Amino acid sequence: MKLNWFVRKGLFYRPVTLIGWLILSAAIFFAVYTFIDIDRQSHSVSDTLISFVFNLLIIGLFYTLIAFATEKKPVKAG
Amino acid sequence: MIEQDEFLKQMENLQVPGIDPPSHQQTVKMAIMNAERSATLGVWLIVVPCYFLFCVFMYYYSHMHSSWFGAMFNLLSGMLANKPYMDFLAPVLLVVLPIVCIIINALSIIHVNIRKVVPGKAKVKEFSITIKVKLWNLMLILISLAIVLTFIAYVMTENISIKN
Repeated sequence: MKLNWFVRKGLFYRPVTLIGWLILSAAIFFAVYTFIDIDRQSHSVSDTLISFVFNLLIIGLFYTLIAFATEKKPVKAG
Repeated sequence: MIEQDEFLKQMENLQVPGIDPPSHQQTVKMAIMNAERSATLGVWLIVVPCYFLFCVFMYYYSHMHSSWFGAMFNLLSGMLANKPYMDFLAPVLLVVLPIVCIIINALSIIHVNIRKVVPGKAKVKEFSITIKVKLWNLMLILISLAIVLTFIAYVMTENISIKN
């Protein structure tokens, strides 16, 4: 089953369908929510940034895994 | 009529090009996975362990009295504190993902072929492994190997020091 929700641009995946954009929006929303949550609990700016970057990378990893599985496959030559 | 005879003679004397099988050994070597796609996913798979190791390095650098593995232990215990899901997620992020990165990048650059050396003899076979020299894929495999070996060394050191 071909899904074709994303197109790869270098290291990143760009959504090309509504579902793709919804997934990207959910990822951004979750990242913002995580930032606010971490900022509320942490005691310093560096504490916030260290934890947030770690969470942001994990969110990026899951987004990339979904995009990798549902991307528009390149056409094979021959 | 004479022209036709000459033409027929010329056609009869034409030399047919011979097919020499050993000179046609170049084959299309298709890998199982696409190299660029594997490299893209590979970068994302090792970015979290790389960030963790960078944090360990910074911790080690700012706490000169602690050892490298001591710095790793302190950071890991800080990560695991009050987060029950990290108990499961930490080994997956730090060991399983780099191993997956090694596998997908290896699949994209390695081509394995088994063929008969002598056409008549079925028992004599040749097994050849070809590795495409793709810089990004090779670099990702090496970085992932370094990450996995670091964590294996850490686990072994921790177990030995706890038992002693």
